[in-house]
Amino acid sequence: MIDQTNRPALPVRDVSGRVPLIFMVSLAAALLLLGRAETYVVDRARQVVTDLAAPLLELASRPVAAARRVVESTDQYAYVFDENERLRVENADLLEWKERAIQLEAKLARFEALLNVQVDPAISYVTGRVVGDSGGPFVETFIVNVGETHGVESGQAVIDTQGLLGRIVATGPDASRILLLTDLNSRVPVVIESTQVRAILSGDNSSTPRLDFLPPGSAIRAGDRVVTSGHGGLLPPGLPVGLVVDGGEGLYTVRTYSDRTKLDMVRVLQYVFPTEVDTQDPPPIFADGVKADAGSGAPAPAPSTGAAATPQAGGGT
Amino acid sequence: MSFEPIGPTPAARAGKIALLVLPFLAGLLCVLLSFVPLSQILFIDVAPAFALMAVYYWAVHRPDVFPPYAVFAVGLLYDLLSAGPLGLWALVYLIVYGLVVSQRTLVVAQTFTVIWVGFLAAALVNGLLGWVLASFYFGQLLSVWGILGQMLATVALFPLFANLFQKLQDWLLVQG
Repeated sequence: MIDQTNRPALPVRDVSGRVPLIFMVSLAAALLLLGRAETYVVDRARQVVTDLAAPLLELASRPVAAARRVVESTDQYAYVFDENERLRVENADLLEWKERAIQLEAKLARFEALLNVQVDPAISYVTGRVVGDSGGPFVETFIVNVGETHGVESGQAVIDTQGLLGRIVATGPDASRILLLTDLNSRVPVVIESTQVRAILSGDNSSTPRLDFLPPGSAIRAGDRVVTSGHGGLLPPGLPVGLVVDGGEGLYTVRTYSDRTKLDMVRVLQYVFPTEVDTQDPPPIFADGVKADAGSGAPAPAPSTGAAATPQAGGGT
Repeated sequence: MSFEPIGPTPAARAGKIALLVLPFLAGLLCVLLSFVPLSQILFIDVAPAFALMAVYYWAVHRPDVFPPYAVFAVGLLYDLLSAGPLGLWALVYLIVYGLVVSQRTLVVAQTFTVIWVGFLAAALVNGLLGWVLASFYFGQLLSVWGILGQMLATVALFPLFANLFQKLQDWLLVQG
């Protein structure tokens, strides 16, 4: 600091300018230390700034989205015939699957009714546009342009067209922040679909989050499907997450279905844990009977199952 | 160097205010730009650190119009928006700013290539500092690839932004 005064060209102002610099450096260092506590004030400040920036970001993200669509559509023109052929084959395949799905659905509905199964409540959702990129090398969060006014709350799951993307960690009136599965702070309870082995999916800032707390000796193979387990009650069970990748040395990672590089519209699932739901949706054919019960008062679940059981006994024979 | 007139005429006063405010606003806009989902069309994972370009450019050319307060504010906005450690980039940018200002006589009157090489050095210091501090903050060794890619993209895009800042600086000189 002192040797700078020897330099010929520096005016006095530059030397006196060091005092604010040192003050500001100390202030930033103090913030860094204090910020670890993640106090309410810090959270609040973040949210206010995010809310203020969201409209600007939304404005700026539109031309980017438009440009990306142009690039994508020119890509598509180049492959339109190949793509068409591929889709025809896939369509034929899917029609077969559709047939099977309809049969299974009917069968499942009959079994559920026979066994008096509590049907999971339908999950409502709100769709928003991703307007803010992660913007830093050490955090994996996105800003989405829906907030409290749209019913978004902290903890809700966010999915793109392929699968689980992350969850909401902060909300303001008109903007929310998504913590991606890949972020250092992300922990999601998952289950390997084929073997029902449970694990925790931990983000580590790489593109493939890790599977932690796998039971020793569990039969798990690369390519197994991973879905959310719903344990803890925060995320709905059964959301597709990704495919297992064998990292060697007993380390397994997951390649997520969701693609963070191609995000446009995402869906925020407003899942409520089944025990906190007053009435659970019965199969649609019995909707009328239950509505009458639900309207009459609070103890809804018990009457609704009763209503579901009686007509089905008649329908089944 | 800077000989902006501190005359009593309203036009001169407005020019001086513009000289102090516009570089700062440009810095804030650079922060916002980092959060625009450019990665979708630029094919890079982490958005370039546009704010670092502003900090470096003004530290080299006109530190008097981009004081430490401005650097702090720019870094803090980045921290608040990115949901990362609060104060991380504010601290890193201030240190880089201090280093650049102390060494600016080496590059300020040179060709653009020298300034660019200087920016490469500043970006490396910035990346290293950020990585070390973040690793300490999170208590684990973080992957270096994210920050390395970000710094490379930032250095590659620097000429474009230096050009824009140059235009702003020229325009401000005419106004002032």
